[in-house]
Amino acid sequence: MKDLRKNILSRIYVTYLFVVVFALVVLGQLINVQYVQGSELVKKSKQLTLQYKNIPAVRGNIYSANYNLLATSIPIYELRFDAAAEAITDEIFNKNIDSVAIGLASVFKDKSPAQYKSELQRARRKKSRYHLIKRNVKYTQLKKVKELPLFRKGRYKSGLIIERQNKRVKPFNILAARTIGYKRENVMPVGIEGAYDKELSGIDGKRLMQKMAGGIWVPVNDKNEIEPIDGSDVVSTIDVNLQDVAENALMKQLQMHESDHGCVILMEVKTGDVKAIANLQRQKNGSYYESYNYAIGESTEPGSTFKLPALMAALEDGYVDLNDIVDTKGGKVKYYDRTMYDSHIGGYGKITVKHAFEVSSNVGLSTIITNAYAKNPQQFVDRLNKMNLGQPLGIELAGEGKPLIKSPSDKSWSGTTLPWMSIGYEVRLTPLQILAFYNAVANDGKMVRPRFAKAIAANGEVIRELPTVVLNPSIASKETIKKAKEMLEGVVENGTAKNLKNSVFKIAGKTGTAQIANDKYGYKYKSKVSYQASFVGYFPADNPMYSCIVVVNAPSKNVYYGNLVAGPIFKEVADKVYAYAFSLHPEVKEKEKPELPVSAEGYSDDLVTVYNALDIPIEDKSNNYDWVNTVKQQNQIVLQKHLVAPIYVPDVRGMSAKDALYLLENKGIDVEVKGIGYVKKQSVTPGTLVAKTDKIILELGI
Amino acid sequence: MELKFKYIKGDRVIWMVTFLLAILSILTVYSSIATLAYKYKSGNTIFYLLKHVFILGIGFGMMAVVQNIKYKYFSRLSQLALFIAIPLLLLTLFTGANINEASRWLVIPIINQTFQTSDLAKLALIMYLARVLAKKQDVITDFKEAYLPLIIPVVAVCALILPANFSTAAMLFAISLFIMFIGRVPMKFILATIGLGIVGILLVFAIASVSPKLFPRFATWKKRIESFEKGESESNYQAEQAKIAIAGGGIKGKGPGKSTQRNFLPHPYSDFIFAIIVEEYGTIGALVVIFLYLVLLFRGVRIASRAERTFGSLLAIGLTFSIAFQAFINMGVAVGVFPVTGQPLPLVSMGGTSIWFTCITIGVVLSVSNTGLLKSNPKKASAK
Repeated sequence: MKDLRKNILSRIYVTYLFVVVFALVVLGQLINVQYVQGSELVKKSKQLTLQYKNIPAVRGNIYSANYNLLATSIPIYELRFDAAAEAITDEIFNKNIDSVAIGLASVFKDKSPAQYKSELQRARRKKSRYHLIKRNVKYTQLKKVKELPLFRKGRYKSGLIIERQNKRVKPFNILAARTIGYKRENVMPVGIEGAYDKELSGIDGKRLMQKMAGGIWVPVNDKNEIEPIDGSDVVSTIDVNLQDVAENALMKQLQMHESDHGCVILMEVKTGDVKAIANLQRQKNGSYYESYNYAIGESTEPGSTFKLPALMAALEDGYVDLNDIVDTKGGKVKYYDRTMYDSHIGGYGKITVKHAFEVSSNVGLSTIITNAYAKNPQQFVDRLNKMNLGQPLGIELAGEGKPLIKSPSDKSWSGTTLPWMSIGYEVRLTPLQILAFYNAVANDGKMVRPRFAKAIAANGEVIRELPTVVLNPSIASKETIKKAKEMLEGVVENGTAKNLKNSVFKIAGKTGTAQIANDKYGYKYKSKVSYQASFVGYFPADNPMYSCIVVVNAPSKNVYYGNLVAGPIFKEVADKVYAYAFSLHPEVKEKEKPELPVSAEGYSDDLVTVYNALDIPIEDKSNNYDWVNTVKQQNQIVLQKHLVAPIYVPDVRGMSAKDALYLLENKGIDVEVKGIGYVKKQSVTPGTLVAKTDKIILELGI
Repeated sequence: MELKFKYIKGDRVIWMVTFLLAILSILTVYSSIATLAYKYKSGNTIFYLLKHVFILGIGFGMMAVVQNIKYKYFSRLSQLALFIAIPLLLLTLFTGANINEASRWLVIPIINQTFQTSDLAKLALIMYLARVLAKKQDVITDFKEAYLPLIIPVVAVCALILPANFSTAAMLFAISLFIMFIGRVPMKFILATIGLGIVGILLVFAIASVSPKLFPRFATWKKRIESFEKGESESNYQAEQAKIAIAGGGIKGKGPGKSTQRNFLPHPYSDFIFAIIVEEYGTIGALVVIFLYLVLLFRGVRIASRAERTFGSLLAIGLTFSIAFQAFINMGVAVGVFPVTGQPLPLVSMGGTSIWFTCITIGVVLSVSNTGLLKSNPKKASAK
């Protein structure tokens, strides 16, 4: 018995020893984890559990000159589904899947309920924890999704994951899209978005977040460690209305001529404010879209528009005056091995310098310049550079094309360079650079830097003005500027741009037609040569308010002269701007009372409203009857009762179609309307019984 | 003093150890139930705290009651318990509450409390083994007379637990073998049984891979074992998070309630509670916990060595061993010695049945120390 007891006891001790060894193994591994692998694990855990999360600052808005919103950030959402969320049991999933699928299909209307169902089921099978339901979800849609069965229970019980993102939108769509620009990841930001990125971006804040159960991040402290500073707003110089005018005018002409691309810039003379800047390029399907900022980026040989600086150089250096006579010979002249032609075959004979400019005679201009500078071409080049033509404008927007003014010391300088330079070849300028030069002329010699933004604002208040930068207080003497203006007015009065003449206000400007050997695009557009038609100028000529340039590249319908292709765009823009900008109008003289307008007959309240709005005195003699005739008297309009009896066809002659339709169709008569304007004739005599009338034909006219 | 210890009979050290573990349990469970509380009770952690304290209180009540039962009765009771446990296991297997495809729980009607039948079966089996071993000491080397009556209930119980809970089945099998070893079952039988066990497991794996429906948990076992070997996937994530918790504790720990890993660990209040203890109380806390379980086992050894009968001896050592063994398996999982299993830390982890059956188990041990020690030891007798 004792042996048995001893035996069992020793076995108990063995077992105890075993457990002690087991405990030591556990302890050993514990110490290994704590002190050998320890530091690395702790580091890893810190990354997992505590993180500084970015709190993105809200990007500022871009406003137009009159505070229309050009670019703003709106929140959009990405919806995902944690198909393996712990709270979703098979029962819950199967019970709700149909209603969720139907709900999603009805909110997004992009897939059928069956599609949504099978997608969610697949995600469930694959235990996907981050299944994408939909991107770019609007807030209103999100609200509906959050009310669907299952999803209304929230993140943990439904597995619905909502991720907020900011999306940049341009409320005016393509309007000045390229100049407003964009900022995307890994791409150099362009346009105003790029130029004022620092101001718009603001500063992201930081917040220390800790990961909690279920992967949710919770702030550690009550306050953010670093508060985000929201971006400021940029008030651009773009005027949405003028931009719209410019873009439409350009679009119309480009479509008409099936041109490759074109641009329009409208600038305020005094401030250099770019009021409108439109760039359109033909897409493969024949439509036009803003895809490159030609206006500031594309530097090409300007052609005839460069004749102004060339001639101004000669005027400034005193080699020539407007009334000097120049011989345009037979419309052609040979320099070394190359012959230069005038576009007018046969030339103009002996004409004044001014007229040579007005008719844009290549022979005339090159003769003047070679006579003046052949011996010292450097002087010509120096003069051009003094007029700021050789250097970039240094605008805020990225991607300004580099201007090129050759120098006699350049290798590419040859005997024919000077004459061809005088007519705008062998030099390169961007449309904006040419415009800046013409603007300086309009601005009495003061050259300003084109400005795209005029202020930085925050919370609706301007915090920093962006002043106009003067590049050159005087590009030439007062004399020369005056002569230049005279010549530019002459172009429209007697020269190549007579088609732009109008009686209301005077336009001054210069046409340009350049043949382009476009090394950037390398190919010749359709036919042998490609052309660039342009018109640059300012208006009103006697008190310049706006300057404007229009450049159309590669018009393909054999019409390529500047006045015919670019001119109409300029004219349309100028007309509309003139109509729009009240400050340009001569004041209406007080004494001239306008004639009382002829008025339609019709619904009394409508007519009274119109007359009141126009401040036209009326006398109502209708005793508040709904329908009235109007009779024009000397100083007022008299309203008289226009009887409409229920059972008779009324007299609707003199009424607008709207009123006539209202009256007749209310009586159950079928109405057919022809033409536009007021009702002139009605096919059923007034007074006929309505019961006998099925149909009435109204003929309208003005 | 008399009043104070009115209800505390038997081994006072065991009472002390149990009490300390319960205090630690309340502290750690309260710290680690935040996740659960947020998921089901909208952040009401007090609810879980009160529930836990209540369960522990009842457990201590059970202990106080059980310690008064004459230990001899447990011999008969064990038979009864086993006869109840086996049908209950069958019932659980086929109708039990299905959590993660593991049918481990029965819902007790009326009080609506889930009840893990394997806890009852474990206690019943160990007591039953003690009974049979004590009875068969004279013929212990006989295969038919002694070995078969021992091994049949072991295999039956383990086989019934196995489909839903592999680790408990394996653990119980191992505990049974140790008890048989202590009870002088010849080594050749024990080794043969181990061999049999291995063959049995291989057989189960073979069947499971052919018809997985029979063992719905097979995929989980396979994954856990594979990921333990290769070091990847979800269960490895758990293991890694546990290690991070342990590493973060350092010597003194982060302090009570300051665990951060509780947010990453699944079941921080049960399977991985040891990791939270180390994170909050450091190496020192870990040493204390290990020490407490070793003390518990040591008291079991002492009681066994002084028990008046072999049955009492085997009861005391078998039951304390089962608690300590499970405790070290739980700790071994947390520190990464074992693949991830769902064994709670006895008395410390949250969970009604586990705590109550552990309390009953300790109650039985106390009853041995209370009613079954050799009279020849005057010291012990007076302590009583």
